[in-house]
Amino acid sequence: MSVDTHRTFFFELKGKKVAIWKLVDSASTDTVGSYRVRLPDSYYKNQLIYPDEAITNGLRFEYTALDKVFVEEDPQSTVDSSLTEATSPSEESHVNLNRMRSLAVVDYIKAQINENKGDFQMKEYYMREFYKKLGDSESNMRNISINFPVSPFSVK
Amino acid sequence: MTIQEIMERTGLKDYTLVKAYINDAVHLIQSTSADSIKTSYSNITVASGGDDHEYDLPADLISLKSLSVKDTQDSKYKKIRRLTSSPTVAEDTSPST
Repeated sequence: MSVDTHRTFFFELKGKKVAIWKLVDSASTDTVGSYRVRLPDSYYKNQLIYPDEAITNGLRFEYTALDKVFVEEDPQSTVDSSLTEATSPSEESHVNLNRMRSLAVVDYIKAQINENKGDFQMKEYYMREFYKKLGDSESNMRNISINFPVSPFSVK
Repeated sequence: MTIQEIMERTGLKDYTLVKAYINDAVHLIQSTSADSIKTSYSNITVASGGDDHEYDLPADLISLKSLSVKDTQDSKYKKIRRLTSSPTVAEDTSPST
């Protein structure tokens, strides 16, 4: 049984693979009579071992991916879970991004067009605009508003 | 915004090229900030040696947000930490002990 996995499991990225390690502080044991004894030449200290138990669906990856890039409905008027992916997108298909990010995509394409023309100054300008709009879109999600109560008996 | 609107705003008429650029842009957006998050699961197996403790990353992964292992005692996924350096493995003839 895996317990306190956030303390006992570690991972290591190896290119396209991820290696899983388990932290244990025990050694190999044997049962002699009714006593459980540690084998004399067994290493006893904190050590990393390979996973020693099978866990169905035990590993959960949370990641970003190209998910539903083109959709049939307008993402500005339809909630994300109701969007249907456009498997063979046409010109009428929508890009699954909010308005600000869609405008950022326009800047990105303009940057690529200018790069193809050899105009690197304009390319840099549009890439800056791209990241600016991306930053604006991101900060729109993190607005913090603070309200101060006004005393009902205050005289001004 | 529709693909057509993007084509009009950029002045490009090549639909395939615009689609490829949009994919590139979304890829870049997903690399720097998370527009949508996906989850996938993999079975953990008892490792017997070699690279048995290595698991494939999802094929469509752009940026890894977190990795969790199921705590079977309370049936919850708990985020695990990344090793800052590879452990020194001298010889691993009996990895599960």
